[in-house]
Amino acid sequence: MPWNFDDLQNQVNQEAAGVDSLQALEAFRLKYLGKKGIVAAIFASLGSADGQQKAALGKGANDLRGCVEQWMARKSEQLTHAQASGERVDISLPATGQSMGHTHILTQTMEEIVAIFEHMGFVTVETPEIETEFHNFTGLNISLEHPSRDAFDTFYLDAPDPSARGRQLLLRSHTSPGQVRIMKQHKPPMAVIVPGRVYRPDAVDASHSFMFHQVEGLLVDQQVQFSELKGLLTEFCRRFFGPKVMMRFRPHFFPFTEPSAEVDINAEILGIQRKKWLEILGCGMVNPKVFEAVGYPQGKYKGFAFGMGVERMAMLKYGINDIRLFYENDVRFLKQF
Amino acid sequence: MKLSLNWLKDYIDPKLSTNELVERLTMAGLEVEAVESVGIDTVLEIEVTPNRPDCLNILGLAREIGAITGRKVNAPPIKNHKPGPLKNLIHIENKKDCSRYIGTLIGQAQIKDAPVDMKQRLASLGIGAIHNAVDITNFVLMETGQPLHAFDYDKLTGGKIVVRRAKAGERIVTLDGIERKLDPSVLVIADAQKPVAIAGIMGGRDTQITAETKNILLESAHFDMGLVRRACRMLGIRTDASYRFERNVDFDGVLTGANRATDLLLRLTGGVLSGRDEVSAPAPSGTAKIKVKISDIESLLGVEVTPLKVKTWLSGLGFKITAVSGNLTVVPPENRADIQQDVDVIEEIARMIGFDRLPLKLPMIKSVNIGVDKGPRAFKKRLRRILTAAGCDEIITHAMMSAKDLVKSAITDKTALRIFNPLSQDQELMRPAMLPSALQVVLTNIHHGQKDLRFFEIGKCYSPDGEKETLAIVLTGRRSQDWRANRKEPVEFFDLKGAAEGIFQNTGLSAVYEKASLASFDCGCSATIRVGGQQVGILGKIERKVLSDWDIKSQDVYFAQIDLETLIPTANPPKGYQPISEFPAIVRDVSLAVKKEIPYQKIEEVCLQHGENILKSVQFVEQYLGDKIPPGTKGLVFSCQYQSHTKTLREDEVSAVHERMVQALIQELSAIRR
Repeated sequence: MPWNFDDLQNQVNQEAAGVDSLQALEAFRLKYLGKKGIVAAIFASLGSADGQQKAALGKGANDLRGCVEQWMARKSEQLTHAQASGERVDISLPATGQSMGHTHILTQTMEEIVAIFEHMGFVTVETPEIETEFHNFTGLNISLEHPSRDAFDTFYLDAPDPSARGRQLLLRSHTSPGQVRIMKQHKPPMAVIVPGRVYRPDAVDASHSFMFHQVEGLLVDQQVQFSELKGLLTEFCRRFFGPKVMMRFRPHFFPFTEPSAEVDINAEILGIQRKKWLEILGCGMVNPKVFEAVGYPQGKYKGFAFGMGVERMAMLKYGINDIRLFYENDVRFLKQF
Repeated sequence: MKLSLNWLKDYIDPKLSTNELVERLTMAGLEVEAVESVGIDTVLEIEVTPNRPDCLNILGLAREIGAITGRKVNAPPIKNHKPGPLKNLIHIENKKDCSRYIGTLIGQAQIKDAPVDMKQRLASLGIGAIHNAVDITNFVLMETGQPLHAFDYDKLTGGKIVVRRAKAGERIVTLDGIERKLDPSVLVIADAQKPVAIAGIMGGRDTQITAETKNILLESAHFDMGLVRRACRMLGIRTDASYRFERNVDFDGVLTGANRATDLLLRLTGGVLSGRDEVSAPAPSGTAKIKVKISDIESLLGVEVTPLKVKTWLSGLGFKITAVSGNLTVVPPENRADIQQDVDVIEEIARMIGFDRLPLKLPMIKSVNIGVDKGPRAFKKRLRRILTAAGCDEIITHAMMSAKDLVKSAITDKTALRIFNPLSQDQELMRPAMLPSALQVVLTNIHHGQKDLRFFEIGKCYSPDGEKETLAIVLTGRRSQDWRANRKEPVEFFDLKGAAEGIFQNTGLSAVYEKASLASFDCGCSATIRVGGQQVGILGKIERKVLSDWDIKSQDVYFAQIDLETLIPTANPPKGYQPISEFPAIVRDVSLAVKKEIPYQKIEEVCLQHGENILKSVQFVEQYLGDKIPPGTKGLVFSCQYQSHTKTLREDEVSAVHERMVQALIQELSAIRR
């Protein structure tokens, strides 16, 4: 009778792992080493084998016996010890110790966005929330008559603007004034990201808040193309939403960029049913009037800028349906992220 | 803007399915937000961006669709009836408020229902039919974008029109039957006596056309966009007319609209043209010639274009092209005031190519030469790591609060920055302190049944001097949930101090805590935090009264606020390696009783002063407040670790130093050995 020692070895290992009591161990021993056990049977078959076969069978049987004995010695010690101490830890009881706190999902989202651009070479700069009309509007080619300057659309502070007589300070209504501040202070080339809080007097509901967060981006150099803006934001969306994201650039209007576009992503990819395309950010080539306002020489530079709402990105990515959840700070919300 | 596809077909047949049309319009910048079936008609809801008032009418959209599809637009023919001049009918007080007013008088009109197809067109856009005169003004508004109004001429006192600012206290009952109070910020159309319409917004009830009307005065005008917008906001009305005036109507369109409506009125009311009076400021200078270089188009968009192609696209949009070589000179159509510079023209070209057909490239990002404030951002990130490791959840709260919240929190800050136009009194101030927002979050969570809370916030505090990055930590409820402990201990001051210390130790700072009596805090359990001699924050137990004012009844709240603007410049001092001693340490315990008012920190200071260079550290072990020590004292146990960097210390050496140190404590602090 031919014996397959590889199979036997595997069988021993498998059965040994299942041994969990002294009785089972005895049964295991009998099966292999008992008088009617497998090892005995192999030796019994030696008589009918020829010389070369005999030697191989003898060695195999001895190896098998050695292996079984080794297993038994170890198992026997483990089982005897466990039985003697009687101690079995219920490892299913809860862990102890201070559990870790959670970073707010808005912070996580904002940092994720910023990190993607930082990896691509952008530098992050934070600029103030309290702003002047020049930085928030005029420098961005937003005319004096533009509705967004109204007290219905921008929070003004009961504080005079020291840089403009008769004007009040305001709470920035977008992060774009960061563009004006940075360009006033620095010469190109530049590639900066400006994350921060912004304010608008919107009545609060599931999708509006009078305070929210934006991330602004700006790249200025001598030669910059709209195609590069498209490429950069496409790469961003792939990294943020995943490689399958589908997006489109749709012409739009912003006073401070020309051409301007809005970027939509395909909601089906995100598993959201309602509407096929969802707007996620605004962007465009910096309007030459903005370069003029910050004092750059005419025609020397080109650039692009983009801006996105952090709440919106987080709501889309995590399926959050009410913006108020971010500011209510219920621990049952905070601890989900 | 609503676009009826049946109406559209009066001017152009796009030869596209609805889905294709929706896609083409959206990708040309006229985003279709909804598609609706109205009877046998299909209506698209289009978001028109503020730079494109020329698309706020069906003909304008037809022209745009013509440009996109290359198909021909058939504008309706307008018969010029050549009205004779009327004198002194129209008066404009200030031509800045109203730069053009055309009043056309039509007599012997018969007011009746408008034709069915006109009523249907209007119904598709959600406009109810009234009678032929009003329906015509609405029809022409939707067709051409020019708002119009029709007065019953016989009801105008003095038979004239005066465009002027309202007088303080003047009132008008508008077409919707509501009496509205006016003031001089509102431009009105008046007769010799009283306002008869709010300019650009809505007509008055008393001069409206009725079944009895015989003589119609048709108004076609151009009002200042800012004036109309502000009046709408003030009066809380928005109409199809005001929407267009706010976004600016075309100066030339005033005449076109007047002519189209006159033509329709004469045809549909059977009236007779009596004449026309027009008052107008000089026409605006019109659109200027713009030079566009082919090379600029290519370098801005990143694609190659041919002059011929560009010419085709632009002429489709109504541009006149006056020169073509490597450079183009173009003149935009009169109603495209948004086209002012070459990049505006380049955007039109990009729209015609299709943004989606422009290639994708990655920009080359050069080393950026900006003095980055990496410090504060890196520090804030680190704070988040430290505090989340300490079991605190990050919160983000509103930076605005009510004055009431400050009072409830016992914060008296008269200089707090006020918002000029708050949404409500709940958000009238920019917060000068973080405590009220923290208490609000604690309260919200307690209301939701969650009482064991550890929070931190990195936000800003505001003052007339500006905004300051600030950290707040708030702890309340029970300490960590350890099922082995049979009693759940509430958090206390030292848990809060531990969270604060975590920050300082992790950022290489050493903080000194000084007992202080602080507003909002329990005076027995509050302190200032000093780092490098500067006060950086406060911490302690919140006063009972404050908590009860916030309706937090059954648990203590511990709160710390740290000014990061002061802290950050001192944080992360340069580090150098400190050699670790190879020699064993000897530990001696000390048990003393000292007067209760002596802080432990003082004892540690005295110990280290007398440690003679071999006392490495003092470790607090326990405090005893029982009656086995003299009254007025507290028992303190601490252990002292002695170690040298150069040799193994002998027991007798250590004993001698230790004894001298204990003697110093006895003498300097009247300590009693226990």
